[in-house]
Amino acid sequence: MREINLDNLDDIARGAGILGTGGGGDPYIGKLLAREAIRKYGPVRLVAFDEVPADATVVPVSGMGAPTVLLERVPAGGEEVAALRALEKHIGRAATHIAPIEVGGVNSMLPIACAAEAGLPLVDGDAMGRAFPEAQMVLPGLIGVANTPMALADDKGNSIIVDAVSNHAAERIARAVCVELGCQISSADTVMRGDQLTDGLVPATLTLAERLGAAVREARASHTDPVRAARAMLSGTHLLTGKVVDVSRRTQGGFARGGARIEGIGEDAGRVLELGFQNEHLLATRDGETVATTPDLICVLDTDTGDPVTTEGLRYGLRVSVLAAPCDPRWTTPGGLALAGPRYFGYDVDYLPFRQD
Amino acid sequence: MILGVDVGPTNTDAVLLDGDRAVRAVKVPSLAGDAVGSLAAAVRALPAGPRGRATQLAVGLRVAARAVRERDGLARVGVLRVGGAAADAVRPLFGWPGALRDAVCAGTANVRGGGGLAPRDTTPLDRDAVARFGASLAGRAEAFAVTAVFSPVDGGQEREAAEILRAETGPDTTVLLSSDVGTLDLLARENATVLDAALSVLVARVADELTATLPRLGLAPGAAVLVTRSDGTLMSLEYLRRQPGLSLGSGPACTIRGAGLLAGLRDAVVADIGERRARVGALTGGYPQEAGPGERIGGVPVSLRFPDLITVRADAHRELAEAADRMRPAAGLLPLILVGGGAGGVPGGALTGFDVVRPEHGGVAGAFGAAASPVGGQYDRIVHRGPGRRLDAVRDEVRDLARAGAVRAGADPRRVRTHAEPDLPVPYLPGAVLLRARAVGPPLPL
Repeated sequence: MREINLDNLDDIARGAGILGTGGGGDPYIGKLLAREAIRKYGPVRLVAFDEVPADATVVPVSGMGAPTVLLERVPAGGEEVAALRALEKHIGRAATHIAPIEVGGVNSMLPIACAAEAGLPLVDGDAMGRAFPEAQMVLPGLIGVANTPMALADDKGNSIIVDAVSNHAAERIARAVCVELGCQISSADTVMRGDQLTDGLVPATLTLAERLGAAVREARASHTDPVRAARAMLSGTHLLTGKVVDVSRRTQGGFARGGARIEGIGEDAGRVLELGFQNEHLLATRDGETVATTPDLICVLDTDTGDPVTTEGLRYGLRVSVLAAPCDPRWTTPGGLALAGPRYFGYDVDYLPFRQD
Repeated sequence: MILGVDVGPTNTDAVLLDGDRAVRAVKVPSLAGDAVGSLAAAVRALPAGPRGRATQLAVGLRVAARAVRERDGLARVGVLRVGGAAADAVRPLFGWPGALRDAVCAGTANVRGGGGLAPRDTTPLDRDAVARFGASLAGRAEAFAVTAVFSPVDGGQEREAAEILRAETGPDTTVLLSSDVGTLDLLARENATVLDAALSVLVARVADELTATLPRLGLAPGAAVLVTRSDGTLMSLEYLRRQPGLSLGSGPACTIRGAGLLAGLRDAVVADIGERRARVGALTGGYPQEAGPGERIGGVPVSLRFPDLITVRADAHRELAEAADRMRPAAGLLPLILVGGGAGGVPGGALTGFDVVRPEHGGVAGAFGAAASPVGGQYDRIVHRGPGRRLDAVRDEVRDLARAGAVRAGADPRRVRTHAEPDLPVPYLPGAVLLRARAVGPPLPL
């Protein structure tokens, strides 16, 4: 066990932003909430899977909806606890541990705030190892853990329990509730026993986020290459360093499809990388050849600072470095690819197994 | 005939423009701490004959940037947030440098109210709490900044709160509203509104001085006055009083635009070489390329748009070449325009890989940019695409509101041209899209 206190938050947020692979929402507001909660209630105990008792009741919490709304209607704090309490009431027992469902983006931070407010330990791991847009895109689903019962709560005191026939159905219902309640709500779902964590979650991802954030910070401070530092920490590969020369966004078949064209510079001069993105970066094609696909991580970083470049922040003229990093191997099973492979997102491309340089 | 003036820290430049041709350019030393005096000195240095035919004066005053940098002349602001319990976790003025906050803050409050993406998500405004806040700061706050949750979608509660504050503190109290700043991002919008309010007293004084000086400058009777803004367009003095923050960053913006106009280019890298510093920016489609989100002013995150700039030492030619290369938006060859007083000191051989252009009058590019820029406006709105929902009607409305923004800023309504920017899907909100439009037009003639 170790503690997350105020000093850890900047690094975790920086790393979580990179793990968001272009999406997941800017961790900034979440970091402020976590800071406020830790200030009020003290540090959060962070526990590894082997420290969690087999019969523990582990409840992942998260924010659901549009990060744009989160930036505008800044939470008061306590929203995730409201969802947690509603879920506890429904299942008739109290949570013993909190967990993140998604380490990429703002959902790395909200569980820290929730754990501080609820006075519960936080599990060092998550259900994705990155960011994904839909509630059924979680690894526990692959071992038969349902994402329902799911408790959803808004900032006004409304809450609702979803019991659904499948994880996909739960996503559809929750999304409709989310829009109805103002497009930003809190969720407590995918309840797990302590002895299911190893099979169900990606281990030590909050620690990874913190190390990743620290590596980038230290590289910047010592004037070395922050992108290289991030790539080393993620065991990733270099895809291209270049400049964004074209960005297009259109809606096609219900998908908000984005594309960016990045022309190589320096050692990559003469090469071109085409990036496909929706909420996250999902597909990378270099000189006409597919070089990385979801569910592997495609991270676009500012070449100079190592800051993540989000899908909405992509614009003409940016100097970026694109890297790929391996996802958790369970995502590459047939079940995992059915949930989050390139074909689920509407791309006519098979998953390309990750290759180390 | 149009007169453009750029009041810099060392020199004040003035140019007279006939169509797009510079008739005359002058450079006079700036008077410390007296922007309007510097302007008057530069204008009077121009020959009286052509000056008397000038029907428009466009000026970059740079007073707001200096005030923020030196924390000088800032008003004390009552900061009112309308958001209630939601929006309580992050206090108003969070993250401001202590000295700046102390210079600006007269008091803060967060009262119940605020809206949502949809009208049904609105919470009624706590009018009594607004009144109590106003009364508690009467005589202590020189201006108020009001920021309601989701006011860019519906600014009604901000206007309501402003009326209450004026009722408590006096009908002439300056109350600035975040819905004028726009952009969904409560904290950055609130910060920008507070900066506006902090600058409002100083800017009002300068605007009054300028209005009083105008008849003595020997321009055509009733000549229009406009000031520069950070996107490379212009606005009226009235608009400046409401949104002084829009003038922050206008100096480099005008120089970049002026450099492009002088060189006859719409896409280029621009380096403004001063005595000590060189600033490198990019010109895209005739306007300065904007920096990405997350901009800060005086250490404060704000939702204002600024030109993308890299600053290097003026005599560090290798750094300059690197900065110019970084600003080059694409791998292809793009001209590099050198302007500013120190441009002559940069040897062309130091900038390999660039087609270097040194336009005539490059020493007064900022003044030229001011003289030759249109009045601008912009608007954006999030809409839900739904079955039976036609975006075209909303798109027209967004364009109309951008047009209205340009007209409010002083453009001639009959000659404003609008153009839509590409739609931006809102992440994780299926079907939602941000529609954006810009408008530009010449100022309203007399």
